[in-house]
Amino acid sequence: MKKEYMKSEYYENRELSWLGFNERILGEARDKKNPLFERLKFLSITASNLDEFFMVRVASLKDMVNAEYSKKDYSGMTPQQQLNAIHDRVHDFVSSQYSTWQRSLLPGLRQCGLQVIEEHEELNPEQAKYVDQYFVENVYPVLTPMAVDSSRPFPLIVNKTLNLGALLKKKNEADAELEFATVQVPAVLPRIILIPPAQKDGTSVILLEDMIARNMSQLFLSYDVLCVHPYRIMRNADLTIDEDEASDLLKEIQKQLKKRQWGEVIRLEVDEKIDKRLLKILKREFEIKEDAIYRTSGPLDLTFLMKMYGLDGFEDYKEPRYTPQPVPELTGKRDIFEEIRARDILLHHPYQTFDPVVDFVRKAAKDPQVLAIKQTLYRVSGNSPIIAALAQAAENGKQVSVLVELKARFDEEHNIVWAKMLERAGCHVIYGLVGLKTHSKITLVVRREEDGIRRYVHLGTGNYNDSTAKLYTDMGLLTCSEPIGEDATAVFNMLSGYSEPANWNKLSLAPLWLRERFLAMIRREMEYAKNGEPAHIIAKMNSLCDPEMIAALYEASAAGVKIELIIRGICSLRVGIPGISENISVRSIVGTFLEHSRIYYFLNGGQEEVYLASADWMPRNLDRRVEILFPIENELLKKEVLHVLEIQLQDTIKAQIKQPDGTYEKVDRRGKAALCAQIYFMEYAKGLNRPQEDVMHDRVFIPAEPMEDPDDEE
Amino acid sequence: MACTMFAAIDVGSYEVNLKIYELSARKGIHVVNHVRHRMELGKDTYATGRIGTPLVDELCEVFLDFRRIMKEFGVEDYRACATSAVRESSNQVMLLDRIFLKTGIRLEVLSNSEQRFLGYKSIASSSERFQEIIEKGTAIVDVGGGSIQLSLYDKDNLVTTQNIRLGTLRLRERLADVAERTVRYAAVIEELLNNEMRTYRKLYLKDRNIRYMLLVGNYIQYINQYIHKDREINQITKDEFITFYDEFIQSGQPAMAEKLGISNENSTLLLPTLVIYKRLLEETGAENVVILGMDLGDGLAFDYAERRKILKPGHNFENDILEAARNIAKRYHTNRNHTQVMERLALTIYDKIKAVHGLGKRERLLLQISVLLHDCGKYINMSQPSQCSYNIIMATEVIGLSHMEREIVANIVRFNSGSILPFEELAAASLLERSEYITIIKLTAILRLANAMDRSHKQKIKDIKVNIKDNHTMQILVDTTEDLTLEQALFPEKAELFEEVYSLRPVLKAKRLG
Repeated sequence: MKKEYMKSEYYENRELSWLGFNERILGEARDKKNPLFERLKFLSITASNLDEFFMVRVASLKDMVNAEYSKKDYSGMTPQQQLNAIHDRVHDFVSSQYSTWQRSLLPGLRQCGLQVIEEHEELNPEQAKYVDQYFVENVYPVLTPMAVDSSRPFPLIVNKTLNLGALLKKKNEADAELEFATVQVPAVLPRIILIPPAQKDGTSVILLEDMIARNMSQLFLSYDVLCVHPYRIMRNADLTIDEDEASDLLKEIQKQLKKRQWGEVIRLEVDEKIDKRLLKILKREFEIKEDAIYRTSGPLDLTFLMKMYGLDGFEDYKEPRYTPQPVPELTGKRDIFEEIRARDILLHHPYQTFDPVVDFVRKAAKDPQVLAIKQTLYRVSGNSPIIAALAQAAENGKQVSVLVELKARFDEEHNIVWAKMLERAGCHVIYGLVGLKTHSKITLVVRREEDGIRRYVHLGTGNYNDSTAKLYTDMGLLTCSEPIGEDATAVFNMLSGYSEPANWNKLSLAPLWLRERFLAMIRREMEYAKNGEPAHIIAKMNSLCDPEMIAALYEASAAGVKIELIIRGICSLRVGIPGISENISVRSIVGTFLEHSRIYYFLNGGQEEVYLASADWMPRNLDRRVEILFPIENELLKKEVLHVLEIQLQDTIKAQIKQPDGTYEKVDRRGKAALCAQIYFMEYAKGLNRPQEDVMHDRVFIPAEPMEDPDDEE
Repeated sequence: MACTMFAAIDVGSYEVNLKIYELSARKGIHVVNHVRHRMELGKDTYATGRIGTPLVDELCEVFLDFRRIMKEFGVEDYRACATSAVRESSNQVMLLDRIFLKTGIRLEVLSNSEQRFLGYKSIASSSERFQEIIEKGTAIVDVGGGSIQLSLYDKDNLVTTQNIRLGTLRLRERLADVAERTVRYAAVIEELLNNEMRTYRKLYLKDRNIRYMLLVGNYIQYINQYIHKDREINQITKDEFITFYDEFIQSGQPAMAEKLGISNENSTLLLPTLVIYKRLLEETGAENVVILGMDLGDGLAFDYAERRKILKPGHNFENDILEAARNIAKRYHTNRNHTQVMERLALTIYDKIKAVHGLGKRERLLLQISVLLHDCGKYINMSQPSQCSYNIIMATEVIGLSHMEREIVANIVRFNSGSILPFEELAAASLLERSEYITIIKLTAILRLANAMDRSHKQKIKDIKVNIKDNHTMQILVDTTEDLTLEQALFPEKAELFEEVYSLRPVLKAKRLG
């Protein structure tokens, strides 16, 4: 790669770019055009995102600093510089989170009849009685208060749990020393508790920690409770397994899981009104510096807002629930295999239902002609119907092989449980590859038919998770194309530890071939541009932070290739650098659904190529994971995918455009029709099922329906 | 169902392969899965003479996995074959037993000639050009881990085939010590090869005009891709290859492996392989290297499909076997006119009494080969032809024959002029079973008869008519103008065995012409 495209000033630091993404979500929480309860959800997402960011990214930087590793990243920052910049920005971010809560959401909730008790002093007598009784009956029995003195050391405070710290003083001893006590807010109880409403027809709730704080004195009867404040810590949780040393991956991960709760404390969250003496104790015990302490003006751990979203009633303040639409090609009248044989089938979730994918495995489990089912599983839902179907298939005598990725972050414990379950059912379970995460999403069904073996394959951009498939936008392909079937078999051979095939028909795999394939396709566009022909790349992904890919895009842009990027999250590429990235535009869509599909389009001198993939352009996807890129070759389906890209490029409601200074701005809508891509696709998926001949006929060319503009004054 | 699922397992010197095939009359041979596992069994065998426990355990693991994969495709039948690494291992017998007990897979050990013959079957089955290429002078070179097989074809016929026991892995292992101490590693490999090559050229190549070298072996596909990029050419000229070779020597193995796109684990045999290719090109003088994918698995599948009558053979392999036998006969200066007549006589009798002997096509071929080789021993010693013929046959590779079949032929030839050993005595020193012994005796009886009819070696009898009369007599009617006194006088003695075996008394009746 040419050096001139690798200058550090051309790259944005990936952590800061990620924070920008979280800020865009917070923007949705602040956006008054969104229904109130949807805004709660967005705020909750920013909080859980931030937690994960600390546990993984900040922890990793912290490790580097501890190891005195000071190499600069591609944007020219040392780990310490990055940490400093992160803390500065997150402090602002957190105060913005809480001002949103205090100034906008809380009053809004009150207006729509939901009273959230902030101080237990606000309780009316009836409510107070109810709260105290609830405490005695439900909460008190599960509490474990712990006092600290010379004979009792400071207890282990568990990662991410909410705790209450208190200062105590022995009763009737005027000169007694202050003592510290702590109690964990039990995670087994609901955080939000409904109490008798203050007003008729209204709803009142109190948070569990406030209820405990109010009754703290009951826990320490012979003491006076001087003050009670909530606090929460975050520990280093980045799970780095030295795979060269671990002979048994499974055991190693189980060991690491136990270790995780002992990690170094990297963040302390406290109530802004916390007693100084109390804070001093916490600071000392957790060995934490001032910049890692976050003071909040409201409840800690805002992820409870997701539960608040789920409160009954308030439907007027939520987006109407969308039902994923049936896929018109899958009528259910015929066998799913027959329908796939008729033509390749494209699935667009969550606009279209995920059921066909579950059904595909379920039918295969029962079909007498099916010999084998093979699948990669990365993250699955709690009560996964896919897992149940796989186990059923094994019991029906099918050969079932499942690759279970144990290294899926934070899901390890969960994964081990059902992996064992599958093994007991008689499935052949492969526990991933040493040093590589298997991120590809592929299912292969081998069926013996009249005229020989036929392979049915599902390839997707998202996990086999029926729950997230209702929230994440993903695309999938069901096909029985022979070249893809052969490749799919080769993929599973490789995943079982056998040698790579002599050649691939259609698929391209990371970590061995994918990067080079992408680079070659970018270079090909560049050649067209150099020869004065039109050259165009559209790429939709979640994150872009691979310096080599970015440099290739810069080089292509400089040669005149038009590049349109749709990137939801991190984007280390900078736009508008003279002579470098003037032909590149970057837009981010943050909406009700999480944008998750990866789509790549290359004009290729008119012989357009469209691909779907499980991979982003991040080093981890291209170098350390098993990922699959697959082409969409059926002309009709190709147009369909291209249509998805085009609509997203026309979005004027949720899209934000990256500016040369790295900030994102909403689309300048003058002269443009208002269009929200996600709403469009919901309507479009419904339209496909309307029993009109012309719809089926012109399915690709349905004109955009005029959308109601929710806000015209802007 | 219209197609049969067949699996072939090939246990080679440095790789274990499972290939699953869909066999049908309509679609022919179609590979649905190919699983490769790299493990250097040859490394143990060629260095220590035996395969160690860790590798046997690994092989069992892989076999268990293979069984699972076979089930995934509903495989109905399979063959698992091992080549030189297992063949030359001293613990072969116990090893096969252990593999069977642990995995349920019966691993057969192929003789070199069987292995190569299956290889040709695979080439012939996979390439439409095969027939066209072997019209001209062609050397088929199969470079394996244990050895190199060199076969010369001319005018559609196999001329000779020889095995040189210097395969890529064996070469690397033999020079393992030297490799660390020299910078001229390639030159040392060449030197070791040269000796064998020179002998081969002197004995077999002579001044044959070889135009094509049909190369079967590792890496050659990668090299072809490297030279021709995206063009679909499966032929490399000598100059192209030499240019590539020089570039390789200059850049060194690691850099070139990367350029070729060969993974680290697969590149360790690259250099010895290339040196072998280069030396072969130089020795044979071929102008073009034709690249054909051959592998044992394909050969096994083809063979299976043929035997199960799923496929019709395109190339006549029996001719190759016979041609190979004729070439051996020629080397030992047997009397061609004599054998030609005998061949006709023996086969006429064989075909006539089909119902009586109850043997098949394959045994007919064995009889034919026995005729061709029946007096090659005279080349060594005129007074002990039967023992010498036996020894020569047992020491020769007849392409296409298994070791069992070779032993049958050797015994038929031995019993032709010598005395017949009882089964117990024969079995004491061989693996032959009772059923094979019976075949030997049956065929010997026919051979003796045919031999007796040309006792004078003058080809007095050219054509015969065979009639079975009243269930006890086989009348052989002969048209000839010559005097048959000698033949008729000695005939009853040679006919004794025939009568004993078939309960048919052969009677020679001359019908004088003119």
